[in-house]
Amino acid sequence: MNKYFSTKLSIFVFTAPALLLFTVFCVYPLLPEIWMSLHDHDGFRNLGFVGLDNYREVLSTPSFWTAHKNTYLIVGISLLLGLPLSMMLSLFMDVQTPRLRRFFKTAAMFPAILSVTVVAQIWLAFYEPNWGLFNSILHSIGLSDWTHSWLTEKKTVMPSIGLSFLWQYIGLNAILFYTGIKTIPKDYYEAALLDGASFVQVCLKITIPLLQNVIKYVLILSTLGSMAFYSHVRVMTAGGPGDTSRTVIYQMYYTAFDTSQFGKGTAIAVIFIIQCLVISFIIQRFVARGKLEF
Amino acid sequence: MKTNSMAKAAILMAGALLVLSACGSGNENGNSKPSDSPSVAAGSSEAAPTESAKESAGTDGKKIKMRVITITTDENRNNIMDKYIKPKIAEALPNLEVEFEPGGGGEDMANKLKTLNASEDMPDVFWNDAGYFTPLKSTGSIMDLTPYISQDGFLSKYAVPDALKHVDGKIYSLASGADTYFTPLIFYHKDMFEQAGVQVPKTFDELLQVSKTLKGKGMVPAVTPGKDGWGPKLFLLQQMIQIGDPQAMSDLVGNKTDFDNPSVQEGAARIEKLVKEGVFPDGIANLDYGPAMEMFTSKKAAMLMMFTWELPNLAKDETVDFFPFPAASDKYDPTKNVQFWGSPLNGYAVSGKTKHPEEAVKLAEFLAMADALYFETTGAPIALQTGNPPADKSPLMQKFVDWYNPIPNKIASMALNSLDARTSAEMSTQGANLLTGEYAAADFNKAMNKLWSENTWFKN
Repeated sequence: MNKYFSTKLSIFVFTAPALLLFTVFCVYPLLPEIWMSLHDHDGFRNLGFVGLDNYREVLSTPSFWTAHKNTYLIVGISLLLGLPLSMMLSLFMDVQTPRLRRFFKTAAMFPAILSVTVVAQIWLAFYEPNWGLFNSILHSIGLSDWTHSWLTEKKTVMPSIGLSFLWQYIGLNAILFYTGIKTIPKDYYEAALLDGASFVQVCLKITIPLLQNVIKYVLILSTLGSMAFYSHVRVMTAGGPGDTSRTVIYQMYYTAFDTSQFGKGTAIAVIFIIQCLVISFIIQRFVARGKLEF
Repeated sequence: MKTNSMAKAAILMAGALLVLSACGSGNENGNSKPSDSPSVAAGSSEAAPTESAKESAGTDGKKIKMRVITITTDENRNNIMDKYIKPKIAEALPNLEVEFEPGGGGEDMANKLKTLNASEDMPDVFWNDAGYFTPLKSTGSIMDLTPYISQDGFLSKYAVPDALKHVDGKIYSLASGADTYFTPLIFYHKDMFEQAGVQVPKTFDELLQVSKTLKGKGMVPAVTPGKDGWGPKLFLLQQMIQIGDPQAMSDLVGNKTDFDNPSVQEGAARIEKLVKEGVFPDGIANLDYGPAMEMFTSKKAAMLMMFTWELPNLAKDETVDFFPFPAASDKYDPTKNVQFWGSPLNGYAVSGKTKHPEEAVKLAEFLAMADALYFETTGAPIALQTGNPPADKSPLMQKFVDWYNPIPNKIASMALNSLDARTSAEMSTQGANLLTGEYAAADFNKAMNKLWSENTWFKN
């Protein structure tokens, strides 16, 4: 039986449907997209071949670079702030009593299961500059100088939106880390305890190294998820004011749909896909390459 | 064994293909092009069932399915849907089973229809707008209604039938005609003005001074929807230009001038001034339509810059009054110049690819009539005659009509009559920038002038 299932043909047979679906729905749509990016296209009519003009124009548009700056800021917030916080939260959950752990798990998952629109509306209310929660708190503790029009000032708009994103998904990542922690054999911890290792040492020497596969998974998920950041921006600021809070995906949508320049919009999409592929490759190539067995 | 595996592989592949083909788009509405002229005489589409409607019901007793997408952004629209469309449609059009999809409004509505058009999934009937008419027309997705509404007599119900015609002489949309009377005004709470001890401003400088006083009393002077540049694009820039020089505004709408014109440039400068002088609340650039309305109706804000489509609702509050945008120069007189919203392209349209053109036109007529019946009850003037005696107007509506009707120079809205899709979207972006107070009017004018030179609206 095992021999039968391990033949190349069997492997092909069992993966063929998935491969076919992937090809039809993921790979094939790229081809007309690349074709469209080389044409002047308004979404309905092909107005002629323009070669690489769309790419040249897109790359010379300031909004394109603003969108990149914003996208990578969100990626940075998600990875440099979000992942360590999620990890800490998972380690914290691990040392709680079962009852408290249940509470924290539910609380951590709650924002992730909410619709983005709901989350965005909640944070819109927090950021409202005249009577929103944040400015009201700052006024009440005598820090009126720190108040801002959070979603309309250039300096504050992206970090503010990023915070809402962080809040929504930090718990989900924590649960993923926690699930990974539970797969680590207890023997390692008992041995460390006998050797007199501190909590921090246990985390740094046992938990985190043995979580590398989960970390890799969360890293890819968070990086690509942050790069595809769109919905929060759409609901909270519509990319504004002006183009201040547009991300790459938003800029692509805006260019294609709002301005009816589908050729340029697809050029942005192609550039974005290349970036995602490169980043995925880098993570796959350099993060957690060793095979872990325990 | 090898043969068996190959056979199983083939079966799996075939299964996968079957799944894929089952997932393929099946357009129930079909894409058959309707005939240019109706074959069945159609009657009225008012609330009562019509003979023709009964006749056109399927012979097998099955109802014809229709899809409608319409704007669903304001209280008027919700009222029309809840009180005039849903309760009466089954009786008026018993042969139809109509599915309504909310379309939102503004860019959301435009993008939705553009996407549906690109995917050849247009609804049978939809709300058309000048902003997305061109791509629909170029792909044959919008039908000329002239032969249908001429034959069934619906056209004769309009006070001025020619007003429905697009520049190509065809009729693409049916509306109540109320939008001709939609113009931006400044609504204000009389009691808040009294409390602050201020009078209705007659000049732009007085508006700034009144706002300063209101702000000093702890009130938000004025609001308007600013998110995505809604206010600046649809009326604020136009108002700020025409209160200084109405001729310059007329010229801009007609593409006889551009953003190098000093009078046009001053318009943007006035918006910048309004923001910097604190006329609007903090965060105006991200203030959505609903919250802006709520700020005014809950009396957090003393003034609201808004179109008169909200007048019937605002008139329910007796403390609300209005005044036209005050003059910024001697060239402007609010009794002689006004912006009007109407465009023959705005209204219910029928997909050029609907399988049931006659029924779809009947449905569009019914919807336009529902609009008219609703606006009629608010006392708003309408161009589509319902046959009902004119309703009593509220004092505020009467005041508006008395002011609006005699105005000789009605300037068309730039947003509906001068901008292609790109210029329209970019103007939203630039307008929102202007509302931040961090963007100079000079930068706005420079950016707009470049966009204006690339605007294809007048080249079509």
